Amino acid sequence: MNTFQDLVLALHRFWRAQGCALMEPYDLEKGAGTFNPATFFGVLGPRPWRVAYVEPSRRPADGRYGENPIRFGLHHQYQVILKPPPPDIQDLYLRSLEAVGLDLKEHDVKFSHDDWESPTLGAWGVGWQVWLDGMEITQFTYFQQMGGVDLDPVSVELTYGLERIALFLQGQESAFDLKWAEWLTYGELFRERERQFSVYHFARANVERARQMFDFHEAEAKECLSLGLVYPAYDHTLRCSHLFNTLDARGALATAERETYIARVRALARACAETYLAEVVGARASPRDRV
Amino acid sequence: MPALLLEIGFEDLPAEEAESVAQAFREAFARELQAARVPHGPIRLFWTLRRVALLVEGIGERQEDLVEEVRGPAAAVGLDAQGNLTPAGLGFLRRYGAAPADLVRKRLGDKEYLFLRVRRPGAPVAELLEGIVARALAAVPCSKFMRWEGPTAFLRPIRWVVALRDGEVVPLRLAGVEAGRLSQGHRFFGGPVALRHAADYAEALRAAKVLADPEERARLLRAAIAAVEQEHGAKAALSPELWTMLLGQTEWPRPVVGRIPAEFLELPEPVVVAALREEGKFVPFTRGGRIAEVFLGFAEGEGDPEVIRRGYERVVGIRLRDARAFFEEDRRRPLSARVPELQGVVYEARLGTLWDRVERIRRIARRLAAELELPADLLDRAALLCKADLLTVMVREFPELEGVMGGIYAGLDGERPEVARAIAEHVRPRTREDPLPESPLGVALSLADKLDGVIGPIRVGEIPTGSRDPYAVRRRGSAAVRLILEKGLRLDLFALVEDVADLYPGTEPAARVKAFLWDRLRSALEERAIPYDVADAVMAQESGDFLGVWERAQALAAWAGKPELSALALAFSRVRNITKGQEAQGFRPELFSEDAERDLWRAYQEVGPRVDAALAQHRYAEALEALLRLKAPIDRYFDEVLVMCEDGQVRANRLGFLRELSQLFLRVADLSRLVVPG
Repeated sequence: MNTFQDLVLALHRFWRAQGCALMEPYDLEKGAGTFNPATFFGVLGPRPWRVAYVEPSRRPADGRYGENPIRFGLHHQYQVILKPPPPDIQDLYLRSLEAVGLDLKEHDVKFSHDDWESPTLGAWGVGWQVWLDGMEITQFTYFQQMGGVDLDPVSVELTYGLERIALFLQGQESAFDLKWAEWLTYGELFRERERQFSVYHFARANVERARQMFDFHEAEAKECLSLGLVYPAYDHTLRCSHLFNTLDARGALATAERETYIARVRALARACAETYLAEVVGARASPRDRV
Repeated sequence: MPALLLEIGFEDLPAEEAESVAQAFREAFARELQAARVPHGPIRLFWTLRRVALLVEGIGERQEDLVEEVRGPAAAVGLDAQGNLTPAGLGFLRRYGAAPADLVRKRLGDKEYLFLRVRRPGAPVAELLEGIVARALAAVPCSKFMRWEGPTAFLRPIRWVVALRDGEVVPLRLAGVEAGRLSQGHRFFGGPVALRHAADYAEALRAAKVLADPEERARLLRAAIAAVEQEHGAKAALSPELWTMLLGQTEWPRPVVGRIPAEFLELPEPVVVAALREEGKFVPFTRGGRIAEVFLGFAEGEGDPEVIRRGYERVVGIRLRDARAFFEEDRRRPLSARVPELQGVVYEARLGTLWDRVERIRRIARRLAAELELPADLLDRAALLCKADLLTVMVREFPELEGVMGGIYAGLDGERPEVARAIAEHVRPRTREDPLPESPLGVALSLADKLDGVIGPIRVGEIPTGSRDPYAVRRRGSAAVRLILEKGLRLDLFALVEDVADLYPGTEPAARVKAFLWDRLRSALEERAIPYDVADAVMAQESGDFLGVWERAQALAAWAGKPELSALALAFSRVRNITKGQEAQGFRPELFSEDAERDLWRAYQEVGPRVDAALAQHRYAEALEALLRLKAPIDRYFDEVLVMCEDGQVRANRLGFLRELSQLFLRVADLSRLVVPG
């Protein structure tokens, strides 16, 4: 059994055994598993935190009309957060690759320097792209900051590119030929969707309405923040982020304007992080939690 | 004497930084050993991206004893009137276990004190090592510091430490890790390695599939590259960055040769080269100016070469497919169509958009075209288009193709070949080693680009200080000077800077820009092995003709140290000293009364026009040779003529002449600045 879903199950089993809580994808558009509240809020504050989940991640600008074997407007990440990171984290990660069926002694595995930064989340970390025979299969990051807040303890984020790992496991050249289940291919599921979203994001998305929607969600996020409703505020922040990505892919933003939009999303993300720490973590800080 | 092995094991360091971190650590460690007075022999450095190891030969058992004088009580307190020790004096002796005979009296300021010479025995090195290692590590500069656990911050987490004195573990802790004898071999093909003896290090790691000696890895890489070159009749397209990456990327490199699918070989050669070299992945090869069909990668460890080759080829295919898509996307519009969009891209908040930058470059280029007699319309066209490729997808994806891509697209758009070439060349030199543009328009456009990159930041106050130079103003300034000197550009740089001053915002005066460029010129002379006194002599008077300064420096340096020049320098110094601070004033030769005076006047009349003629033709060696003829008459003049004589009119007349003579010299160089032997 070597289907896409088997890969997900194998990772679930592996990380459950490491004490991770298995989460579900969050039900809003987002560019990466990092935006899932289980990561954004989970890495803030002192409380130990281990979660793992699949995150369908939308990056409109990466759409290729379903014609590129490994680039998509929506791909699937497997996201793991370990706070604090165990000292053998690199080995643990490599064992997870073996657990899904990769024989690492056959391959060329490199941890290639790649520091990660999300200007919209006000987050950065240092780490690597993990290369398998030259192909990036995982982003491995020690978060140092989230929402503009210094993290203590820091967290490790592992982001597996599931399609790419599946190519190795199934011996395929194109993700569209991957088996999702025995009777169902990735292409059947997603090729047409990729084509349609590429058409939409690159040529058809209504720029004026997207700008208006951004403004609405930004206003809504601010209002929620003023009421101390950090989770709803964060949802609207996510929507702003996705609308920004849409406008960007649509080629609607001049460089200077692009910076302005990024700054607007970042300001919301920061405010969410600060509000969360003050109102949620602060309120929770009972002696039991302050170990 | 025993050997000390210290190995720090890291999670993978950035390949491009591992070597500099390792070397910085060795230097810092050597400094700390010295500061701690630890005797030691040579320090050998080993490193890979997962470790930095030092093998210190002949490490001492104890640090050297320190003899120092300690100050005790004032003599008046420590001794009584009879010179006997008081209780305070005795206490001082007791504290250091010394005898009264060890005491010395010394005056400090206006008071006398008791002193003791105290020998502090050195501590065992084993006890000091922990502090030495921690301080050395803390002194290593990193591009970015991260925290992982606890207070230590470094480039990457520290995961193991080995400290062995010969066969014995030296107990120490670093960043919460206890040192032992356990090192790590290759991640998949080695496993843990228990080191028996410090001296076994390199061999034990080799057995565990780690080449810890960077020289050994370099040899292996070079041999593999040469083998491909030979087998395929091609030349590796290496870059310094790629080499650093390759050397840093693997502990046990294994060459894997792959093939580029034929469909991509039609892409422009620089594009394929950039795609392969990206992130230090693969070595591209060229044959006769075209991309060759093979590439080389270095796998980490001993995986299956066939599996890895297929993987490499797939990655290369995917990236080149991207590159082709970028190329086709970019080609849908001519480069010139992107020019107006430069108005939407901020170059620097105070210095405006990229369009503002282009406008300034055009103004400077127009000046240069006039001064250097270049076709102004072609240079202006190249200047107009030179930044447009920053808006192409290709350059966004492959920043190293900036300029190069503009040149390629301009050529395909049907721009004149000289224009396309100038665009491609104008970004050079990017580094000190980078070759200069070759075409005259490329040279001029590059100079205009560099000057704008110097003048702009300086005018708004971004003057580089120490290691802070965010706008790379120094690099650009040096590049501008290099272009002028090496391409022989005859122009008045200072007049140019004044001329374009009104284009720039900011409050720093143009004089700051000139002073900065002048300083870059001084560095350039130094780098070109011009002795400092020669540089002082030719730079005594500011001049916007940098090429002239350089030529005068060469002419003078060719004579430097020769007795004729030294003698002339001494003679001129007498002229210079006596006329310093004198206002220009006329003189009347008919008032010259002494033979020596008339003799010098005649020599001056003969030499002066020859010097001026030589200067006009920039033949500085000739000018200098002409001046040499003045040596004897000057010497005689000062032997026989009393310049500062009683008669005010005669004195003024003589000074007036000497001042004019001095000016003649100064047009070539201030020879009084030369260091004369003896």
